[in-house]
Amino acid sequence: MVDFSLTEEQLSLQELARKFARTEMAPHAAECDRAGRFPEEIYRKAWELGLMNLNVPTEFGGSGLALLEQTVIVEELARACAGMTTSIIANCLALEPILLGGTPEQQRKFLAPFCAEYHLASFCLTEPSGGSDAGAVKTRAKREGDEYVLDGEKCFITNGPHASLYTVFAATDPSARQKGISAFVVPRTTAGVTPGREEEKMGHRASSTSTVRFEGARIPADHRLGAEGEGFSIAMRTLDQTRTPIGALATGIAQAALDHAAAYSLQRHTFGKPIAEHQAIQFKLANMAQELHAARWLTWHAAWTIDHGAKGTLESSIAKCFASDAAMRIADEAIQVFGGYGYMKEYPVEKLLRDAKLAQIYEGSNEIQRIVIARELLRAYA
Amino acid sequence: MEIVVLIKPVPEPETKLRPTADGRAFDGEGVKFVLAGYDESAVEQALLLKESVAGSKVRAITAGPAPRSEEVLRAALALGCDMATWVEIPKGADLDPLASARILATAVHRYPHDLVLTGKQSLEDESGLVGPALGALLNVPDFGGVADLRYDEASGGLRFQRVVEGGNEALASPLPCVIALQQAWNDPRTAKLPNILKSRKMPIERIEGGHEPLLSQQRRVAFRLPAPRTGARMIDHTTPEEAAEKLVRILKEEARVFP
Ligand SMILES: Cc1cc2nc3c(=O)[nH]c(=O)nc-3n(C[C@H](O)[C@H](O)[C@H](O)COP(=O)(O)OP(=O)(O)OC[C@H]3O[C@@H](n4cnc5c(N)ncnc54)[C@H](O)[C@@H]3O)c2cc1C
Repeated sequence: MVDFSLTEEQLSLQELARKFARTEMAPHAAECDRAGRFPEEIYRKAWELGLMNLNVPTEFGGSGLALLEQTVIVEELARACAGMTTSIIANCLALEPILLGGTPEQQRKFLAPFCAEYHLASFCLTEPSGGSDAGAVKTRAKREGDEYVLDGEKCFITNGPHASLYTVFAATDPSARQKGISAFVVPRTTAGVTPGREEEKMGHRASSTSTVRFEGARIPADHRLGAEGEGFSIAMRTLDQTRTPIGALATGIAQAALDHAAAYSLQRHTFGKPIAEHQAIQFKLANMAQELHAARWLTWHAAWTIDHGAKGTLESSIAKCFASDAAMRIADEAIQVFGGYGYMKEYPVEKLLRDAKLAQIYEGSNEIQRIVIARELLRAYA
Repeated sequence: MEIVVLIKPVPEPETKLRPTADGRAFDGEGVKFVLAGYDESAVEQALLLKESVAGSKVRAITAGPAPRSEEVLRAALALGCDMATWVEIPKGADLDPLASARILATAVHRYPHDLVLTGKQSLEDESGLVGPALGALLNVPDFGGVADLRYDEASGGLRFQRVVEGGNEALASPLPCVIALQQAWNDPRTAKLPNILKSRKMPIERIEGGHEPLLSQQRRVAFRLPAPRTGARMIDHTTPEEAAEKLVRILKEEARVFP
């Protein structure tokens, strides 16, 4: 049975997210973008309403939502501000390794107190020497007695300066490449852990991104998730779960772009009529709508696939890659519909283009997504 | 304190209302109904009182057709009401305020009730009559136009304000009583995600509306939208200065607002 309608429950979650996005996020989106301000008061409210730890089971104080519900929520949030959304959903990314690789004991220990209060967490995989080649992690984790000692640097870490918990991927056996990577939970209070300065970014300026340095940072051995050498697999399985919400984030940006463009096209007059009556503009809107719908349905389909127990690597890569490329094109066209005003910071559409760009880069660049898609695809023909 | 809060689904504020084909009512087909305005404030007030008096419980009651009734009750449960009752009224039944009050009074009678709270008037038909009629039917004092409601521990009753011509009255009432709140004054809370999920699984007691709809005296003969306003005109412009200049010229030369 195929069903594209949302249940009453899903609709009420969508309603909650929409209301929060409209009343709490949207009014501050332009200001935070301009100033590069990290609006922690908004993130705190998102946590209070249960919009933050969406993927964490309720027994540990999270919202315990399936992926489809997560995508419905993330799209609504991103419609108001993709940057804030990135910071709100960064916890889902950072905590997923604990859900996938942690023992029940570790999950209780790390997740329950974390989710009981407002806290941010960061996922630390990317390093200055390379993000796409995640198997080439240089950060070292050396076993010393009952401890691991971490040395190295991670970069582009979302919420890095504000997080109280880091999930870190480090090499326990550098000679084994990706089979030598392990995953760790590192509390911010650990001596030798130092987040760097906030980066100045093109978009998602309400989010914060920094390096995180580990210098002789000692953590108890029971902070390792999974077995030694299982880290790479945990990281990849984490991204299998979190790519789909990035598709939803891109869909939200695209929806906002179409909303603005359509409304503007009815108001703006040239040559004696609204520009919406010029067929060139109508065709633009029609194309934007097609891509937007495709992005949303691909995203829902990926979520549905994974919620039904499949791994969904192919589906989630397709959704993330298509939706973010579509968001780029749709935001670009929205600026074109606005003409010169679209290029001005006073109008909301240029921000959408800057925000859409990131969705093509993070959580696996779209080149990497295409590699994954082709690999999965060709396997079926081999 | 056992608090009963009466709520009514209203069309989502941004809804564009349309009349039905026979022109007698507004067309609810495809319209999203929500808990809003005065009723949302009434629920907030009920929850504030519940939080201030240990051991209190709040029951939300609505009378209306499916599925909109269930949706507002779920919204009230998600906000923190403990129990909910749906009095089922067939779709299209034309209830006048007295019939509504009778139906609601019958429902309220089934449960312990120290306080019955309503919004001042439903956003939808603005009659404001249900509260007073309910007080009479339940044979308890009733107050309209109330704000700033507080439980008074010393007397075991309520203290509140009422706006009257030229000032504010401070009043006190014993329990039980019926109170219609003045306005959408407070900053109603937003339901939290886990409570929304929980509310979907909470029971809603369903009771039949009975024959009261048949006793309704008042009939709605027609429902019309306000006449569309004409004469709006967009000013073509490229800069705000140009727009202002053109506007001033129109106001002077055409509308003759200024000499
Ligand atoms: C704002 C922001 C937030 C981020 N948040 C996080 C976070 O919280 N945690 C985290 O761990 N990381 C985070 N990242 C990092 C992000 O995931 C990486 O930037 C991304 O994976 C790309 O890595 P890179 O920047 O090192 O680019 P590189 O890997 O150096 O790639 C450069 C270019 O080469 C292409 N390329 C690379 N390899 C191939 C190949 N084999 N075939 C074809 N093309 C290839 C890439 O697609 C890209 O276009 C964030 C990044 C940004 C910008």
